[in-house]
Amino acid sequence: MRSYLRITTLLILAVMLQPGHYRDGIALAQETRAETIAQKQEEKSASPTPEEPTRGERIFLETKRRFIDTRDGFYPLLGSIYAGGGLALGGGYRRYYGDRTFWSAAGLWSIRNYKLAEANTISPGHANGRIDLAAQASWMDATEVGYYGLTTATSERDRANYRFQRTRASAGVKTRPASVFVLAGEVGYEEYQLKQGLGAQPSIEERYTAATAPGLGASPSYIHSTGAAGIDWRTSPGYARRGGLYEVRYHNYHDLDATHTFNRMEAEAVQHVPILRENWVISLRGLMNSTLSGSTPYFLLPSLGGGSNLRGYAAWRYRDRHSILFQGEFRWIPNRMGMDMVLFYDAGKVTSQRSALDLTSLKKDVGVEMRFHGPTVTPLRVGVAHGTEGWQVVFGGTAAF
Amino acid sequence: MKRAGGATGKFYPDDPLTREPETRDASNAQPKDIDLFWDLLHNLFARPGDPTMNVPAQNVNTIDEVPDSSWFTNRILGHSLSIEEAVRGPLTADGPAPGVWTIIRPKSSGISPGFTMRDVRGDVWFVSLDARGYREAGSGAILVANKIFWALGYWQGETHLIFIRPENLQIEKEAVIRVSSGKVRSMRWSDLEDVLRRSERSPNGSYRAIASKLLPGKVLGGFQYFGTRSDDPNDIVPHEHRRELRALKVFGAWTNLTDMKAGNTLDTVIEENGKRIVRHYLQDVGSTFGDGAVGPHDYDEGWEHLYDKTPMLKRLVTLGFYISPWQTANYEENRSIGRFEAKAFDPEMWKPRVPTSAFLHARADDKFWAARRVMAFSDEMIRAIVKTAQYSDPAAEKFLAETLIARRNKIGQTYLPAVNPLTDFELSDGTLRFVNAAVQAGVAAYPAGGYTAQFAAFDNMTNQTRPIGTAGTTEGERIQAPPGLPGEVGAFVKIQVAALQPQHASWSVPIDVYFKREAGRWKLVGLERK
Repeated sequence: MRSYLRITTLLILAVMLQPGHYRDGIALAQETRAETIAQKQEEKSASPTPEEPTRGERIFLETKRRFIDTRDGFYPLLGSIYAGGGLALGGGYRRYYGDRTFWSAAGLWSIRNYKLAEANTISPGHANGRIDLAAQASWMDATEVGYYGLTTATSERDRANYRFQRTRASAGVKTRPASVFVLAGEVGYEEYQLKQGLGAQPSIEERYTAATAPGLGASPSYIHSTGAAGIDWRTSPGYARRGGLYEVRYHNYHDLDATHTFNRMEAEAVQHVPILRENWVISLRGLMNSTLSGSTPYFLLPSLGGGSNLRGYAAWRYRDRHSILFQGEFRWIPNRMGMDMVLFYDAGKVTSQRSALDLTSLKKDVGVEMRFHGPTVTPLRVGVAHGTEGWQVVFGGTAAF
Repeated sequence: MKRAGGATGKFYPDDPLTREPETRDASNAQPKDIDLFWDLLHNLFARPGDPTMNVPAQNVNTIDEVPDSSWFTNRILGHSLSIEEAVRGPLTADGPAPGVWTIIRPKSSGISPGFTMRDVRGDVWFVSLDARGYREAGSGAILVANKIFWALGYWQGETHLIFIRPENLQIEKEAVIRVSSGKVRSMRWSDLEDVLRRSERSPNGSYRAIASKLLPGKVLGGFQYFGTRSDDPNDIVPHEHRRELRALKVFGAWTNLTDMKAGNTLDTVIEENGKRIVRHYLQDVGSTFGDGAVGPHDYDEGWEHLYDKTPMLKRLVTLGFYISPWQTANYEENRSIGRFEAKAFDPEMWKPRVPTSAFLHARADDKFWAARRVMAFSDEMIRAIVKTAQYSDPAAEKFLAETLIARRNKIGQTYLPAVNPLTDFELSDGTLRFVNAAVQAGVAAYPAGGYTAQFAAFDNMTNQTRPIGTAGTTEGERIQAPPGLPGEVGAFVKIQVAALQPQHASWSVPIDVYFKREAGRWKLVGLERK
């Protein structure tokens, strides 16, 4: 009996002392609910694993770090250089030298061989957020810009192309002296080099003369001064479902050799009307461009056509000394965070006389757009529009208005 | 906790657990940030967590209750929580000590204006000010929600209402701020002015704010509503299968707590009973009722996720003429409360901003468990808690309290009758007593056919049952046990109890309750609600 007890005791001790079978007072056999749970916790603690991001999370975080969180450094660009130039790709480099102030240099190249090199500095938020300062210098090469002649009585078949290279340096200030009042001013130097147009259409000098294309052959250099005053109570210029903009802008293009000096005024009114908690938004815009005096060269005349004004017509389709544009949009909001759908109607005309800016003989189009947006920006608009000359694909990297 | 028994049978001697064991040292758990955008996109589009649905909650004990743990403490309904306790909430001491408050860093998360400061005692406080134009809104929501969620059982930080006068503030020399450029520099007085400019200033020149005390322990970062923390050995139940996290679907609906991101939670390593464990806080419950961080909730908050495929496609193809309920809900739009209402509110349709894995796994029994807690808040308790927000406008206080009461009642109407609602079982003096939670709450009629109970002797080792008597019915919420109940200590009985109410088919599905004979009494050891 004693030897039996001794053997039994030794066996029990041998089992209990095996590594892992008795730790921190936890019995080998789970006699209680608490012990079964404790054993699972012990099993987990035996193979500790640090909290680490998954592969997908790592890729996301690295992408975000490189392109969003990192304010200084290189960044990619996707957008447009000049209306009619097509989609452009490029990159830039940005460096901050103040809390909010930075300079950047960027280059873009489009599928139609348009090119842009730009350096700028932006310093927003001075005087308690009431004053923004900016300066920029740029060089652009637009290789095949369309010109169809003056007035709206032109045909698609009248198209000729011109090429211009613009060198520009400017500085400006934008102030908000009271919550919704906006005053802005900018002054700069602009030099235009006009060249033979590229592309499938004939070059402009083959089809037009100085009488039908004012300033043909000239390559002027300007001091360009702009002043603007208005009321802007949109939630953001880049994306808004409510509010409005009522603004007047004045441009003085002073030709350094005094040949093509001119003055122009723009008046714009935008109103967004939300309906049923912004389920729908009616947006209306009226825009008038009017040459006040002087001789405007053909490539700086007010124009209509393209992705943000008369959308059912090709870019630069109509030009003359004065233009008027009306746009109406019916927007509905499938997803409030990121996607709007739009049915739109545009109507406008260009005229040689301001007195002819009336509601007769307007060029009209209708269309539909899908917009992807953030709270304050609209980085992508795609759609189609139909005017009297057929269908146009609409593509934009900013708000239509 | 509710697992098949081992060598000792279906029930262990220590069933039902009242405290979730946390036996291992978690001091090796390391901080990890969960990126806000990753968290948002992952939950919106990836639907993380267990793909199998209708899985019973895995951290309930054998009587279908949630034991106390580093996640949850039974307060309301766990015991009779007094109005005074509820009003005090998690507060253990006074707020920031009077004197000059020293700003030690800017606010590190969230978009409401604020900063971090130290009082003259050396205590560190996170300060969040009311957004400009929305007087008392942010602070009021936090004060009320903090106490509600504490009473519901969650770990909450201490939050105090304070009034800031700029002349009582100073900036610590070493304080730094990360500016828009991403660079870090010394904090300046103008940075504080930026904060104050975005804040609501009282007519007397002070700023109303909330001061939240620095939580004790090593801060690890937020927790997610799915999976487990790999470096916490005590975290063995996937979060989507934790009942108290599933229950937030109901509590969130009641209070309109829409911002369920990981960034609004916090894990810390604390020492408890000589052991270092991870404690899990619902850190920020301020996006509640009708208030967002810097203004009222959007109209669709509580109704749709940020990306919600079905209504989005319906609106897309109908030119927006598919009208969702939020578009016609009659919000009162109180400036101090935001957009909140009870009339159109439907608890089952309520959604947080982002799909939350634990919510998607919530079953009817989880929601029933949660609804009982919501219904345990009396009108008086709700009014008393709301009063702590110290709204200067009595109409705001009345509006919030009445809306919460009305939403509470809808929670009860929706979830209490949805399962067999019998609870609080007792077997004594040869009588089985229980409560019909739906009838007691006044959200359902007394069952027309009364109740039925089938008693049986239960063998804990083999799970075999032997009927005792025949099924008996009764009209009251007490049923006389048949003769022949076992009398020896350690014996078990199983009773299947159902209610006969044609309007509620689920009530006829019996609840299995198990009692174990102990010295001189029957102890409830099991409750299975199917």
